[in-house]
Amino acid sequence: MRNWFEKAGFDPRFSSLVIALAVIWVLLAIATDGIFLSPRNLYNLSIQTCVTAIMACGMVFIIVARQIDLSVGSQVAATGMVIAAMQVMWLGAETPGAWLLSIVGGILAGVAIGLFQGWWTAYREVPAFVVTLAGYLMWRGAAFLAADGQTLAPLSVTYQRLGGGVHGSIGTTWSWVAGVVACTVVVIGAFELRRSRRKYAAAMAPAWADAVKVAITCAAILAFVAVVCAYPDPSANIEGAPEGTVPPGKGIAVPVLILLAVAAVLHTVAQRTRFGRYVFAYGGNPEAALLSGLPTKRVLLMLFALMGALAAIAAVITTSRLNSGTHSIGQMAELYVIAATVIGGTSLAGGSGTIPGAIVGALLIQSLDNGMVLMDVSSPKRQIFIGLILIGAVWFDVVYNRRQGK
Amino acid sequence: MSGEALVDVQSLSKHFGGIHAVENASCDLYPGEVVGLLGHNGAGKSTLIKVLSGVYPPDGGKILVHGREHRFHTPREARAAGIETIHQTLALAENLDAPSNLFLGRELLTPWRTLDSDRMEHEARQVIKRLNPNFTQLRKPVRAMSGGQRQTVAIARALYFNARILIMDEPCAALGPAETRMVLDTILRLKEEGIGIFLISHDMTDVFEVCDRVTVMKNGQVVDTVKVADVTQDDVLGMIILGQKPKPKVH
Amino acid sequence: MKFRTILAAALAAAGALGAVPAVQAKGETVGVSWSNFQEERWKKDEAAIKAALDAAGAKYVSADAQGSNEKQLADVEALIAKGAKALIILAMDADAIGPAVAKAKEAKIPVIAYDRLIQDKDVLYITFDNVEVGRMQAREVLKVKPKGNYVFIKGAATDPNADFLNGGQREVLKAAMDKGDIKLVGEQYTDGWAPENAQKNMEQILTKNNNKVDAVVASNDGTAGGVVAALRAQNMVGIPVSGQDGDVAALNRVARGEQTVSVWKDARELGKTAGTYAAQLAGGAKVAGLKGATPWSGGTKKITISSVFLKPIPITKDNLKTVIDAGWVTKAQVCQGVDAGKAPAACK
Repeated sequence: MRNWFEKAGFDPRFSSLVIALAVIWVLLAIATDGIFLSPRNLYNLSIQTCVTAIMACGMVFIIVARQIDLSVGSQVAATGMVIAAMQVMWLGAETPGAWLLSIVGGILAGVAIGLFQGWWTAYREVPAFVVTLAGYLMWRGAAFLAADGQTLAPLSVTYQRLGGGVHGSIGTTWSWVAGVVACTVVVIGAFELRRSRRKYAAAMAPAWADAVKVAITCAAILAFVAVVCAYPDPSANIEGAPEGTVPPGKGIAVPVLILLAVAAVLHTVAQRTRFGRYVFAYGGNPEAALLSGLPTKRVLLMLFALMGALAAIAAVITTSRLNSGTHSIGQMAELYVIAATVIGGTSLAGGSGTIPGAIVGALLIQSLDNGMVLMDVSSPKRQIFIGLILIGAVWFDVVYNRRQGK
Repeated sequence: MSGEALVDVQSLSKHFGGIHAVENASCDLYPGEVVGLLGHNGAGKSTLIKVLSGVYPPDGGKILVHGREHRFHTPREARAAGIETIHQTLALAENLDAPSNLFLGRELLTPWRTLDSDRMEHEARQVIKRLNPNFTQLRKPVRAMSGGQRQTVAIARALYFNARILIMDEPCAALGPAETRMVLDTILRLKEEGIGIFLISHDMTDVFEVCDRVTVMKNGQVVDTVKVADVTQDDVLGMIILGQKPKPKVH
Repeated sequence: MKFRTILAAALAAAGALGAVPAVQAKGETVGVSWSNFQEERWKKDEAAIKAALDAAGAKYVSADAQGSNEKQLADVEALIAKGAKALIILAMDADAIGPAVAKAKEAKIPVIAYDRLIQDKDVLYITFDNVEVGRMQAREVLKVKPKGNYVFIKGAATDPNADFLNGGQREVLKAAMDKGDIKLVGEQYTDGWAPENAQKNMEQILTKNNNKVDAVVASNDGTAGGVVAALRAQNMVGIPVSGQDGDVAALNRVARGEQTVSVWKDARELGKTAGTYAAQLAGGAKVAGLKGATPWSGGTKKITISSVFLKPIPITKDNLKTVIDAGWVTKAQVCQGVDAGKAPAACK
């Protein structure tokens, strides 16, 4: 059964992940009298997932390359404080363009942190576990020092839109445009792939299988757009409209667009660029990478710099959502990010992992957290439950790999 | 043996701290011949080829390729000089497929500088067809391949890039009889094409079948280089174990 | 809050300190063990403690346990080794601090429990009345919204203060809750007191109740910030929200009408009081004989402990001037971005 599945070009691991997600969603919907699946909650869920998912995309590369980064939460705090400090302390939050400059500043800070950690790991050969454990302490300390422990608020009004709150979405029209464009890209992409394979007489999956995959993906995209457009915008201005007018739908939240852009870019990097290929090669067999003359040290350095940049992007979303920079953001984020990546199918032994898997993994964890608060489950109990799920997911991975004869 | 030597190793030395892994070793290789590199574990064969393939820089001596002196600092430089090495471990990434491994470090790119996977598969298929016509499923990961298929990929990698000098380290060690046969036939075919091969092997039958000459090492030094036609298997064993040069045959 | 309350608080504090015999601690060392110096407010406390010790001629040494009980024990031992003659301890955990206190007692070093309870009969417990803080938070919210749906956004489940605060809040709201005027529609602890977590929890509670929430009793300013962010996304900013600590951002929110009250504990007062008493203890005074300390047994173990309770001040739109005048924040900071038409008295 699995062979047929694989020959048709479906990834069994990813498929089982999606099915697990669907089952969890159904269970949560039942337990919350349907509130979990309401457009409003799904809209919120999409934003709550973004921060973890964006960092999980970077963590995929890191774990594939047999490394680890335990400091991502602290990186979020440090870069978030840089952004907030630039807006509140140095430039003035409402100064035109200040918010944009602060984002650039934050990303540069993230890259700098990443280069620092990557240099020690790649060129000085200190194990990544140790370097990033040190980073966990250092960047959190730096975040505190940035404003002497104070909360920096409020942030620029324009900047707040990046958090998905007030005016933080693109509205119904643009959402449908985006959805249709995305579907078109998927369809064209599938055709292009088949054309290229045919040209070189390469092996390809049967046409009906590709058609099913495209259909499911497009259906999911359009369903998502429909759901977020069904959520009436609480901040929409409907003064003067007749009684009972429903405000226009919110549409896709800006942080979700950011996540999708990041995911698309990184997925392409993983599959279509030399950098991605070298990361996977190194993770699969470091000796082979060395003997093949791959620039392994540079690849590792870039890897950590990428993670730093992604942590900064995650910080943008967190601070804009909170409308303040505090040094406590990102607490425990490293654990959730690693959990999401692993649940999403990335093997801790290195060499395998996918971006879509990590995103679904993040969505799975956040769905559980989101649903359980709706069920009034207390925080300590939620932590226990999510921990058990993590063990379960990894155990499943171990069994699955054993069956594959790895 | 005609013309200029492909590789001429002169008095090569390599030390690791106090250990003289290779000491004053000399050997050479001509086009269209297979030279066996024999010796005990720790005799220095692996180190010698690691120096030749650019993994270690030498501490003393000279390496001449096509008459020109070279000093390899990286595996890339060795390959650039035309030396392709198939290591004992094959140096394949288990999680990647055949075309990816074949082109690892030398990928073919599209005009947009992305990986041209389909073209690489096409090219890989051409080379692999010549070596092993039954091996058609190229897109599965290496970990799902048999030992013979993995050897094929490793050899194909060397051939695709038009190596004239091949170094093979124990290519048949992990293979069954049918696959061993396939590899030996390949070696003979490559010989006919004028490629020079350094072959490390411990199997005397294989050595005597495909090699023209053998260079025997012991304790880091070369005992002697002899023509296979001039010696018996026992002679060679004596060289390996005792470091004893064979008595010259009476023609 | 009115001038009278402030006057009363000031007099009480002054009386407590003034009545103390002037025992000087010439050159004696006082050790301070912080539980987690990286939380926002402790810098002000430290500055005040140092100033009080300087005035008394004592030396200041400190250590930061960075949130770890084990490290705090090691820190206390180190401070004793450094020659501290009195210890001020901000306990990470009220019970886990036991061994550290025992060590100090063994070395005949008196201990001041700073802000957080240590359940030991020989310590001097100096704190703002946290239960009273909770009561004040609830009172101010109740004033604005005597009836409706309420939400508790509490502190960290691991911090005993969270439950003290919630206890005080519930005390004040009990009558209305029993009568049915107030319905509790949501209640969550906030991991690590983190604003991010408060925002997420509040979002979910709003979703669950379809925004039918009329008031939020949040336990500190950080979590209040998260609550307000969640409300903003639902266009509900303006419903009563409480807080504590007197954070700059929170006071600004009070001025803008986004937060109802921030209960202010002048950390400088707390630090000064602790520093002054510590200097006396280091100079040889005994806990039992300190003027201004009264016995109290409100802890879970019902042990009687010498205590000094400082009075917190609830800061609302009406008395923002208090914090400005006290030099805690500047007018610019408090009034930043405030709409001229809706400005509170302090910002005009």
